[in-house]
Amino acid sequence: MALQIPVRIGPAEQSLIDQLNSVGATAEATRFAVIGLPTRKVESYHYTDLKQLLRTVPPLASVATSASPPALRIAGAHQLMIANGAVQESSTAPAGVIVGKTAGSALGPRDDLLVRLNSALATETLSLVLESSVDPVIQIDRRTEGPAGHAADSARIFVADGASATIVETYSGSNEPHLTNHASFVQLGKGATLTHITVDLSSKSTTHFATSEYLLAEGARLRTLTIHAGAGLARSQVFARFAGERAHADFTGLNLVGDGQHGDITIDISHAVPNTTSKEIFKAIARGRSKAVFQGRIVVARDAQKTDAKMMMQGLMLSDEAEILSKPELEIYADDVVCGHGSTCGALDEDHMFYLMSRGVPKAEAETMLVRGFLAELTDPIVDAALKEALEAVLDGWLGG
Amino acid sequence: MTTPMLEIRDLHVRVEEREILKGVNLVLPAGEVHAIMGRNGSGKSTLSYVLAGRDGYEITSGEVLMDGQNILDLDPNERATAGLFLAFQYPIEIPGVSTMTFLKAAINAQLKARGEAVLSTPDFMRAVKDAGASLQINSDMLKRALNVGFSGGEKKRAEILQMALLKPKLCVLDETDSGLDIDALRIVSDGVNALRSPTRSMLVITHYQRLLNYIVPDVVHVFSDGRIVKSGGKELALELEAEGYAGFSEAAA
Repeated sequence: MALQIPVRIGPAEQSLIDQLNSVGATAEATRFAVIGLPTRKVESYHYTDLKQLLRTVPPLASVATSASPPALRIAGAHQLMIANGAVQESSTAPAGVIVGKTAGSALGPRDDLLVRLNSALATETLSLVLESSVDPVIQIDRRTEGPAGHAADSARIFVADGASATIVETYSGSNEPHLTNHASFVQLGKGATLTHITVDLSSKSTTHFATSEYLLAEGARLRTLTIHAGAGLARSQVFARFAGERAHADFTGLNLVGDGQHGDITIDISHAVPNTTSKEIFKAIARGRSKAVFQGRIVVARDAQKTDAKMMMQGLMLSDEAEILSKPELEIYADDVVCGHGSTCGALDEDHMFYLMSRGVPKAEAETMLVRGFLAELTDPIVDAALKEALEAVLDGWLGG
Repeated sequence: MTTPMLEIRDLHVRVEEREILKGVNLVLPAGEVHAIMGRNGSGKSTLSYVLAGRDGYEITSGEVLMDGQNILDLDPNERATAGLFLAFQYPIEIPGVSTMTFLKAAINAQLKARGEAVLSTPDFMRAVKDAGASLQINSDMLKRALNVGFSGGEKKRAEILQMALLKPKLCVLDETDSGLDIDALRIVSDGVNALRSPTRSMLVITHYQRLLNYIVPDVVHVFSDGRIVKSGGKELALELEAEGYAGFSEAAA
C-alpha cells in the first residue's frame, strides 16, 4: 500500500478533527487528519465533493431548549422525537411497539465518511421494536434546534418476523446553518413488511446527511421513499443487503432541488443470496441554478442466482441552469439474473403541455399537473391516506415555493 | 350577413424553411359541418394544429377569425376557452394524470376563465357519467391515467367525451376515424352527431370518405398542396373516392 501523504486541512476539517478528539474518538481523528473530506477523486463522492461544498462545521450541538413547530403533521401518527441527537422521552407506545434507547450509533462499520462520523459522534440510538402489525403510522421527528450546531443522531428499527409497519422520519429544525448527520439501521425479520419514508424538511441553510442501512431476511417486503425537500446541501445514502431468499424491496426517492441547492441520493444495494428482487425508482426535479445527483449501484453476488433488479432514474429539469447527474451501475457476478437500469433526463414534454393547454388549462396549471403526474408513481403506492396526503402537501409546497 | 363561426383568410404557414399552407381560404358558417379531404402530407393536420395554436409553426400571412375574433395571437388555452376544440388524430398519453383529474381541471379552467362558477364534484361526476354513457366510457377508464394504455377506440371516444363536456363552439376533428374499427367508428360518429347544433360548427378532417357516411357534411373541401382546390356538396366526397385525388392536384397546378 502506498503511503498516504496527508492532505492540506481546511477550517471545516480542523473543526471535525477537534470535535472527534473532544468526544474521545482520537483514532478516528488521526485517520481523518490524514485523508480529510472526500473530494471528487473518491468515486462515491465524485459529484458531491465535500471538500468544496462543506466550508465550515458548526460546534457540536448542545441540548435543545426550544422547539420549532413540527415540519410535517400526519393525522393519526404516533410521534417519537430525537432533538439535537438526544432521544426524547415518549408517552405510551401503540400496541406491538417497544420503544427504548441504547448507547452509541446503530450503524455498522463501513468505510464511508458520513458513517464514520455518525459512529463516532452519535451518543445514543432510539430503538424501535415492532412485534406485530402496527396500525398507526410511526413518525420519528428528528430536530436540530437552537443555534447552529453539528448534530449526529441514530435510530434502530427492528420489524419482527411477520410484523408490518409504516415509519416516517422527518428532519427539520431552527433556521440556522446546522450540520446534521442522521443514521437509521433497519432490520426486517422473516416475512416482515415495512414502508420506510424519510423526508428532509430542514431549512435551506442546513447541511443534511442521512444514512439508512437495511437488512432483509427471507420473504421480507420493504418499500422506501427518500425525499429531499429542504436542506441547501443534502446527501442521503441507502445501503441495503438482501440476506434471505424471496425478499423484495422497492427503493424509491425524490430529489427536489431549487436555486443554490445541491442534493445527492446515493444507493448501494447488495443482492447477496438467490431469488431476491428489487425495483429502484428515483426521480429528481431541478430548478434554478441547482444540482441533483443520483448514484445507484446494484451488486449481485456470485451465488445470488435468479436475482431480478430493475433500476430507473428520471430527471426533470425546470430551468436551463439546473444540472442533473445520474450514475447507475450494475455489478453482476451471478450468471442467471434479470437486471437492468435506465436513466432519462429532460424538460416537460411539449406535446403534453400542448394537449393540456388545448383543453383550456393555463400554462402554469398544466405544468403543475404534469409535475404531479411525474411524481405520482412515487406517492401512489403509499397506502395510508393521511400520510399520502401529507407527503403530497410537501411536494405541492415545494412546487409552489 | 351573420358572422361565420370560422373564417380563414389567405393563411400561409411555414415549418422551418418549408411552406406547408399556401393560402388557405375557408368560411364555415355557424351550425354547419364542413369536411376537409386530402391525401396524406397535403397539410391538413398542419391546419388543425395551427388552428389550435401549437408551437413550431410560423404564420407568414393571413388571418383566422373565430366568431369574428382573430385567434392567432391567443395561447392554446385561450383559444379553448374562446370555444375551440381540436380532437387529436393521436391523443397524447399523459402518465400520472388520471383522466378524471384532467377532465375536472379542463372544465373548471374554462369556466373560471369565462368568469362562471366552477362545477361542484357531484355535478361534475354527474356530467361525466351522463356524457360517458352513450360513448361507452366506464368509470374504470376514467380512473386510468389519461390515454395511457387506451386502445385506439378508447382514445377517440375519450376525445369525444371531452368535446361533449367542454361544449365548444367550433370543433376540429383531425382524422377521427383513423385507428377505428367499424363498431368504434359508429359509436364515435354517433357521439359527434349528437353534438351537432345550430350554434356549433365542425371541421372534419379526413383522407377517407368512409367517415363522411357517418358524419354527413354540409360542404366538402378538397385540400391539396397546402390549399383548398375545390369545394362542393357531400357528393364531392364520393367523386373523390371514385376518382382519387390525382385529378384535383392537377387542376390546382
